[in-house]
Amino acid sequence: MADFQPVQAQDKLAFLLSLVPYLMDHDRVSVADAAAHFGVPPEQIRQAVRLIAVSGVPGETTQYQHDDLFDIDWDAFEQDDEIAITHLVAIDESPRFSAREAAALIAGLQYLSGLPEQADRDVVGALMAKLALGASAAPSEVAVGSGDADTALATVRESVSTGRSLSFDYLNARGERERRIVDPLRVESLDADWYVRAWDHGRTAVRTFRLDRMSDLAVTDEPSSAEARDVVLPETLFQASPDDLSVDLDVTAAALPLIDDWIGSSEKRSVGTDVVRVTVRLAHYGTLKRLVAGLAGLVTVVDPDEARAAVASWASSALDNYLDVGGSHSDPPDSAG
Amino acid sequence: MPEPSSPSVVRVPVEERLFSLVLALVATETGLTKNEILSTVQGYRQRYKPGGDNASLERQFERDKDDIRDLGIPMETVESPGEQGNNQLLRYRISKGEYDLPADITFSAQEITLLGLAATVWRQGSLSAESQRALLKLRSLGIPSDDPVIGYAPRLRTRESSFEPLRTALERHSIVTFTYLKPGDAAPRLRSVSPLALVQHRGRWHLYGIDNDLGARRTFLLARIVGTPRSTSRTFAPPEGGGFADRALAELDALWRSQRATVRVVAGSDAETRLSKRPDSSRDLDGVLTLHYTDVDILADELASFGPEVEALSPGDLRAAVIKRLTMLVHAHSTGSRE
Repeated sequence: MADFQPVQAQDKLAFLLSLVPYLMDHDRVSVADAAAHFGVPPEQIRQAVRLIAVSGVPGETTQYQHDDLFDIDWDAFEQDDEIAITHLVAIDESPRFSAREAAALIAGLQYLSGLPEQADRDVVGALMAKLALGASAAPSEVAVGSGDADTALATVRESVSTGRSLSFDYLNARGERERRIVDPLRVESLDADWYVRAWDHGRTAVRTFRLDRMSDLAVTDEPSSAEARDVVLPETLFQASPDDLSVDLDVTAAALPLIDDWIGSSEKRSVGTDVVRVTVRLAHYGTLKRLVAGLAGLVTVVDPDEARAAVASWASSALDNYLDVGGSHSDPPDSAG
Repeated sequence: MPEPSSPSVVRVPVEERLFSLVLALVATETGLTKNEILSTVQGYRQRYKPGGDNASLERQFERDKDDIRDLGIPMETVESPGEQGNNQLLRYRISKGEYDLPADITFSAQEITLLGLAATVWRQGSLSAESQRALLKLRSLGIPSDDPVIGYAPRLRTRESSFEPLRTALERHSIVTFTYLKPGDAAPRLRSVSPLALVQHRGRWHLYGIDNDLGARRTFLLARIVGTPRSTSRTFAPPEGGGFADRALAELDALWRSQRATVRVVAGSDAETRLSKRPDSSRDLDGVLTLHYTDVDILADELASFGPEVEALSPGDLRAAVIKRLTMLVHAHSTGSRE
C-alpha cells in the first residue's frame, strides 16, 4: 500500500483530525503501531501527537486554559513511545468524506469491479452506497464504466492461492507462440490494459505478460518455485535493458502523453511547431511498428533507417489487404460531440 | 502564500491554526463571529490588532474557510437574530452531527482492503490526493485490512490535460469553453458546455454536458479537446435529479452495443488473440470477427496497429479510416519522405 506523506497544510489537518479518533479508540497504542496503521514514519506520528497535546479551544476565558486542551500521558509518550489520550476536546469521531474524496474512491472501485476480489457485485454496490452516505455532500459526477470480469484473472488468483504454477499459451510481440509456465507475482494495469508479472520457469527470470495475449490458462500440479518467493519486483512496468534498441521519434505535442511510458526520462527537443523529437528504447522493432501504426499522423519514426523500414513494411503489407477492393468513403457518424 | 510578518510575532504553523479553528467551531453551540475567531483562536489571536486594521487576517480566514470546506467539513453560517445581512455579526460554527461520520457506517476488513486498492488506482492529479485523504479518514476508524491473495498494482490515468480544469468546472457548475476537433470536420470549433459528468468508458475519458449552442446534451471525447478548456465566470443550475454519470455511461454502452464492425484476422496472430478477447466480440465465419465499438476513429487506430494481421471489412467508413491511416504511415516512413 502506498505510503501517505502529508505535504500540504490541508493534508496535515486531515491527518490530525483522523489521528484523534483513532487514538481515542485505542486506550494505549505504541507510536510504532500507529505509524504502521497509517503507513507513515513514526516521527510523523510523534509530531502530530505533540501538536494535538497542546491544542484545544479558547474556552470560557478565551485563554486556552489547561482544561480547554487535549492532554496525553506524557510519561508514557516520552519514556515508552506510547500514546494515551487522557483528555479530549471537541472531536471524537472520524470526519466525513468530502464529495470529491468519496467520488475518487467510488470511481476507483468501479474500475476494479472486474477483479475476482470483487466477484460479488453486491459488495461493491453496498460499499459505494456507504461512501455516498458518509460524504458531506453528494459525490461528484465522476464515474468509470465497469470493466468486464476477465476469467483469466480468476485463474491467476487460483494459481497464487493454491501455491501451484500457472501455464498458458503466449504469443509475444515478435509473433512467436509457446506454452509458458510461470509463478504469478503481481497483477498490474494501465487503463484498459492488464498485465501479469511472473517468475518464468523457462527463462528463469521475471517477465511481464499482457493478459489479453494469454490463452488456455490452467493451474498446473507443480508447486510454485522457490525462486519466485525471493523476487523483489521493480516498481516500473516496463524496464529498459542494455540490449534495447534506441529509436528517435517525432511526436505531435498532443500525442506525447500517449507514449509517456516509452519516453521515460528522454530529452524532448522541439523540431517545429507543435512537434517534439524524443528517443525511446524498446526491445525490438515488432513492438515499435505496432506502437507507431496505432498513432498514424501523430508519431513518425525518424531514425534509424531499419526502424523506419519496419514501420513502412508493416503498413504497406497491411495496405495490400485492401488493394483488390476499393474502400468506400462515407462520412464518420456523429459518435461524440 | 507568504504572510507579511513582524519578527516579534510568534509564528503558529498553518496546520495548528486550521486545527484550532475546527476545534473552536465544533465546540461552539451558538457560533462565533469573525471578530471573535480572529481575536481568540490560536494562530489568529497572535496577529490580531484590537481596534486596528485586520484586513490581511480577514483574508487569511477566508482562505482557511475554503481549505476546511474542501476537506468535506461543513461550516455553517448563522445570522444573528434581528441583524440579518450584517456580515460582521454572522456567526460561524461546525455542527457535530454534520461533521461526524455517521456511526452506522462501518466497514469490514475486506472492505477496507478493497477501498485501499481503489485508492491506489489514481497515481496523479487531484483524484490521487483526494483518494489518499479518504483513505486517511478510513484508517481513523482503526479497522485493520486483510492482505489480498495476490498483489495488485492497478493504475488508471487521466492523461488528457483537459481533465483537471473540467473536473474543477464540474464541481463549481461553471460553464466551460473549449476547442473541439470532431472527426470529419476540417477545423476545430469553439464549444460552450455546461459540464454534468466526467466518465471513463473502455479506457477513454468523456465529458457529458449541455452544449449551449445546440441546447442539447452531448458527449465529448477528452482526447479531441484542443488546448486547455477555460472556465467562464458564468455558472448554471444542473438539471434536477442527478445521475448524469450513470446516464452518460448508459448512452455510451448503448452506442457500443448498436455499432458493429466486421474484421478478417490472420489465424494464430496477435490480432486474432486480442481482438477476439474484446468484450462482446464474436467469431462468425472462419477468421471473421464481429466487434463492437463506440468511435470509428478509435477503432481504426487500434486496427491499424495490427498491420497485416487484420483487414477491416465493414462498415465502409471504418475500412476507409484504416486505409487512410496505413497510407499516411507508408508515406511518412518510406525512403525519400525524409526531411
